Amino acid sequence: MKNFYTPVYGAGLFMLLCYLYSGQAFGQNTYLLNGTVTDTTGQAIPGVHVQRLGTQQGTTTNFEGQYSLAVQTSDSLAFTYLGLAPKRVAVSGRQELNVQLKPDQEALAAVVINAGYYSTTERERTGNIARVSGKDIELQPLVSPLQALQGRMAGVEITTNSATPGAAPTIRIRGQNSLRQEGNYPLYIIDGVPINSTPVESNSSLGFAGIDPLSTLNLSNIESIEVLKDADATAIYGSRGANGVILITTKKGKGQKGIQARIYSGLASVPNKLDLLSTKEYLRLRQQAFTNDDVEPDETNAYDLLLWDQNKETDWQEEFLGGTGAITDVNIAAQGGNDQTHFRLNGAFHQQGSIYPVDLQYQKFTGGFNLDHHAKDNKFQLNLALNYGVDENELLGDGINFGLKAFQLPPNAPELYLEDGSLNWEAWSEAGLTNPLEGIFNSSTTQARNLITNLNLSYELVDGLELKTNLGFTDYRSDELVKMPKRSYNPAGTPLHTSLTTKSQRKSWIIEPQLHYTKQWGKLNLQALVGGTFQENQYDTFSVQGNNYISEALIGNLGAAESLLNARARNTDYRYEAVFSRLGLNWDKKYYLNLTGRRDGSSRFAEGNRFANFGAIGAAWIFTEEAFFKDRLHWLSFGKLRGSYGTTGNDQIPDYGYLDAYEATMGPGGLYPTGLANPNYSWEVNKKAEAGVQLGFVKSRIDVGVSVYRNRSSNQLVGYPLPGITGFTSVQANLPATVENRGVEIEFSSENIRHEDFRWETSFNISFPKNELLRYPGLEESPYADRYRVGHPLNIGLLYAYQGIDEATGYYQVKDQNGDEVYDQEDRQVIFDRSRAYFGGLNNSFRYKGFSFQFLFQFVKQKGSFTGLFNTGFPQNQLDEVRDDSSPYTQVSQTPEASQAYARATESDLVIEDASFLRLKTLNLSYSLPTRWLESLSLSEVTFFMTGQNLLTITPYKGMDPAIPNGGTAFSGLRTLTTGVQLNF
Amino acid sequence: MKIVDKIKQLSLVVVLVCISSCQDWLEVEEPDHKLVSSEVFASDETAESAMRGIYNQLYQASYSAGWLGSVSVLGGLSSDNLALINTNALDLLQFQQHSLLPDNTYNESLWRSAYNIIYMTNSLLEGIQQANNLSPELATRLQGEATFIRAFTYFYLTNLYEEVPLVLTTDYETNALLEASTTTRIQEQIVNDLEMSISQLEGNAVVEERTQVNAYTAKALLARVHLYLENWELAEQYSSEVIAQSGTYSLLTDMNEVFLANSQEAIWQLSPKGAGTVTTNTNEGSVFIINPYFPSLSYVKLTEELVNAMGAEDKRKLNWVNYHEELEVYYAYKYKIQNSSAEVTEYSMVMRLAEQYLIRAEARARQNNLQGAVADIDHIKERAGVALLADSNSGISQQALLEEILIERRKELFTEWGHRWLDAKRTGKANEFFAAESPGWQETDLRYPIPAKELLSNPNLIQHPGY
Repeated sequence: MKNFYTPVYGAGLFMLLCYLYSGQAFGQNTYLLNGTVTDTTGQAIPGVHVQRLGTQQGTTTNFEGQYSLAVQTSDSLAFTYLGLAPKRVAVSGRQELNVQLKPDQEALAAVVINAGYYSTTERERTGNIARVSGKDIELQPLVSPLQALQGRMAGVEITTNSATPGAAPTIRIRGQNSLRQEGNYPLYIIDGVPINSTPVESNSSLGFAGIDPLSTLNLSNIESIEVLKDADATAIYGSRGANGVILITTKKGKGQKGIQARIYSGLASVPNKLDLLSTKEYLRLRQQAFTNDDVEPDETNAYDLLLWDQNKETDWQEEFLGGTGAITDVNIAAQGGNDQTHFRLNGAFHQQGSIYPVDLQYQKFTGGFNLDHHAKDNKFQLNLALNYGVDENELLGDGINFGLKAFQLPPNAPELYLEDGSLNWEAWSEAGLTNPLEGIFNSSTTQARNLITNLNLSYELVDGLELKTNLGFTDYRSDELVKMPKRSYNPAGTPLHTSLTTKSQRKSWIIEPQLHYTKQWGKLNLQALVGGTFQENQYDTFSVQGNNYISEALIGNLGAAESLLNARARNTDYRYEAVFSRLGLNWDKKYYLNLTGRRDGSSRFAEGNRFANFGAIGAAWIFTEEAFFKDRLHWLSFGKLRGSYGTTGNDQIPDYGYLDAYEATMGPGGLYPTGLANPNYSWEVNKKAEAGVQLGFVKSRIDVGVSVYRNRSSNQLVGYPLPGITGFTSVQANLPATVENRGVEIEFSSENIRHEDFRWETSFNISFPKNELLRYPGLEESPYADRYRVGHPLNIGLLYAYQGIDEATGYYQVKDQNGDEVYDQEDRQVIFDRSRAYFGGLNNSFRYKGFSFQFLFQFVKQKGSFTGLFNTGFPQNQLDEVRDDSSPYTQVSQTPEASQAYARATESDLVIEDASFLRLKTLNLSYSLPTRWLESLSLSEVTFFMTGQNLLTITPYKGMDPAIPNGGTAFSGLRTLTTGVQLNF
Repeated sequence: MKIVDKIKQLSLVVVLVCISSCQDWLEVEEPDHKLVSSEVFASDETAESAMRGIYNQLYQASYSAGWLGSVSVLGGLSSDNLALINTNALDLLQFQQHSLLPDNTYNESLWRSAYNIIYMTNSLLEGIQQANNLSPELATRLQGEATFIRAFTYFYLTNLYEEVPLVLTTDYETNALLEASTTTRIQEQIVNDLEMSISQLEGNAVVEERTQVNAYTAKALLARVHLYLENWELAEQYSSEVIAQSGTYSLLTDMNEVFLANSQEAIWQLSPKGAGTVTTNTNEGSVFIINPYFPSLSYVKLTEELVNAMGAEDKRKLNWVNYHEELEVYYAYKYKIQNSSAEVTEYSMVMRLAEQYLIRAEARARQNNLQGAVADIDHIKERAGVALLADSNSGISQQALLEEILIERRKELFTEWGHRWLDAKRTGKANEFFAAESPGWQETDLRYPIPAKELLSNPNLIQHPGY
């Protein structure tokens, strides 16, 4: 750890604390009352607020649930703890007062939810906030924390784009709002600090997806992840809330003192294989193509038939994708403290090997520190969270797509390597081809260091009025070095030793002072908050290519490069300020009203367009609190209706877009204009409406929640299409296009069996999203003309209508819709909806004594495409199915016309197929040793566990992975199996 | 507790400051990698850089960079000089077969890159006009250079597409809806621009690096423009002015030195360094020379017809044409270096002296100065080591001489900026030259189509007939 920000915060605070420690003198007729607060099971509850009624004096219970408070004989004390029913007890002169707190009527009230600037409970929330607790995800052997949410939350769609660790997944909360792909990132907030959610750019094989900015987070150190979905929940984030908000809270020191250690290891492999042609069949079809085309095979056009071994049979899938990657994860945490101060220290190591035939490792070290302190009188509180992560990702330095190669290489292709391990150029050159593994020795090492710190201070000015300040600082640095040694390339081409260096840094700080006010007037409860945000994000990136190093060992040392090329440096500065407020009212815990608003200013817009207001209203009615329901509907233990409406915005556009400016050319000494400037654009506006009902049955052992939502994004900020004669093809502008996302989400959870020794719980969620481009004036003249259709989802493909094999030519044939004998965009009239019809997850957990068994099924109903491996006749391997005359793939030819026909067929509805799937996403089995065995070992818990990921997938889809249902050759969800042990001291 | 009170006070101040959120704070500084336009033209140094930028970008722009999408390759394929080795390159095949579709990507890049360069020249011209602090000499010179490049680019646009929108400002709101101007209007603009450019560049010394445009570069282009406009006298006048600069420009006897950087024959070259890439020699070298290690990766070859037009003793055949045994194809070998990251020795030739002799020969022949024409064409023939017209056929008729000049142009200028295609068009011989080789030939194939996407985003543009 190189950045020690802690001492800076720490030193000042420590001094502050010393002052605050000074106790209060006791009054004349007071005495010290002691006691312990426990829950219904007898467990001590730390952190319970104990207050002398009618005064501001109070305390909080310590780790053992004990408190001591100066009281007078006639006092009454109030014991409150979020999620538990509050209790009032008269002291009546007792010297010791032990209290038992019961859970608040329902389990719902026990679930505390982080709503960003404030907290609420599952029972009282007016907005739509989904929550996953750290316990549910911490054992998953994943690098990107958000991947763990797959299948667990309604309305949250997570797609992993690559099987490479560290690749950024795509997150869509209630669908795509912006026409621009890059305008759809949700807002990430870690412990109150916003993190840039845009993937970090990379020159490595991660380049396409980019690096996940959350990859340096420790999955095991996450306390909870909350996803804010509707207007009520997101409007307080104003301009940044349009695509939803993901709040990640890291673990704090609480509960027992102790040390927890966990280690697990396992293996990852590719779960699927495509059925391809054998050498014999492949060669037969190649021959067939020459016969069909009436072409004489020669060494140039038929190298696989004439030059290559006719009996060689290589399973390239096994060769390239058959490997297993080892996973190791070690996690240690220690916590402790005293009455007023709690701390938690955490360190972890995660390592993951590659499945590809190259020795590549992903390694991650993380450290975390959390300090929680409150003054004796509870007026002053502080929380410091510090998370630091370093990861080192070794990747291929070249975009070698092993996936594609594994499927396309002819099964009788020559050896790729010579015996000495170098690439075999000769055998491939004979055929006029270059070795498909050209570039294999190019390595890329990406090291990311990420510091996220947050300090929360609060002070109770007067009763009910609290001043809080949230200070955050983040520093993300990524250093990437791609080495391209000569031996990666054909020596005949006189290659040079080359390197690519890329450095990026993202720095941000945030200050958010806030005033919170809470007041109870009879049955009316008021919670108000007003605050401000100042935030600055700086982004720097630098890249340079080093050329012609003398030796391979020196690659990367820029000083040893003969020449430096393509140096590129950019820096951007983004500033943001806002005022936000919230007013929460409830009457008798029955009627709830929540008003939130924010005024935002962003430096991404030109002067005059920088500010905008956003706000929302949310309301809830817990109707089961009404006498009518209480008396008559006993089976209904909880019932709530809620609704919300409001606006949020989106300012996810490049910085400085309004600036008319020149940049340096790639060539030496030049400046040139890189785009058109428009000073007039402003925010995208997203209007969200939601209605929901939550019901609890059988004393809330069964909970059902249904939400209906409709979000509309308008004022779309797009690269407004321009004809090239303007010099460029687009300019940033607001377009009166509207995108709607609507849908229904159902969540269900039940405690099927609740027995002392045996418990069975089920939870289930399903979402029916619908995305529609409502209007887009001038769509046909825009560059999106070939991509979108009004009245259809954004995620569509426009395809030809497939008409079967042309009897006369034997070629694939698509319909010439307008009869002009030319196949172009006008003939692509079949609309292929790629979006999910519905998706969700089913989770079951069983517990019997020390055993616990849990599994999560993820399911998706969708259509996909399979667009390759059926251009039979070409020197590439094909799906095994092509040899069957009854398959739809029967064109065998390699004429240019056949190639065109094939290309059109891959863009026709021939390729659409059902890509729905049911996947056993995670499976977890664990056993905890009985505590009586442990006492002598001074251990509090020993648990053995086994976790499996993607163990089983049921799908009719032909391709590798229905989770990436486009093309058919890409895959992401590796099958992993890990085992480990958890030790708590 | 005092300290607590202080915290209270302090915090309140902080909150108040926040709430009265100040606009100024959102005023971010410009990033280091961007220079606001007004600042670019606030100093001589940066204004000069903006001009360098245009030269650099010419070697990135599709139409001028000498790569597959350049006028040299596409024009060559449209004519009878070049053919594809690998007919799987469908978008290129459309040029060769004269079956261009409006959505052809090469055609689209050709159009867009040309207009992108035009935007840069307009931006520079506007910038200089609004600038106050530039030294007048520099301002005039830069205007001359930028105006030349604008005229040069319109020359190719109008000769490839005929009527195109004439964009002379950077105002995208107006420009987005421009209609096509008549060819007369565009030619007028080109002539005006070049005359303006000549006057602005007059008196500037010809610098060592032939990548910078000077008054003679503009005159050379103007000679060509007048030739195309059949203003024979003017064509002769301007080409004579260029040829007269014998201290600066001369025909090189060693054919292998013609395309070297800053060769004496060069009137204007583009430096491949402008692209700032690893392959620091010319793209023409990479495209035309058959890749020695991966011959199958090469795209184009010379047609046998072109090669056969050159006699066995023709030095151009000996030095500028090569034969690849394995593929059994001829390829252009004017540029000798395919790619290398060593020192840059060759520049991309845009205009050279030989063309000026051929322009003057044609202009003279048209004016019935046959003797003068023969003398000019013999300069070229002499250098190529072939029989001089003066010796072999001194009594040649005007018609035969004009045909001889066309053939000479073909042999001399092949693979350079689409001369053959444009010559055939302007002399009305395209039917005669290309129809036979191209089954679906139509008169309308003489103009490339307006890219489909342009029509989509500009309702005022109309597609050419035949597309």
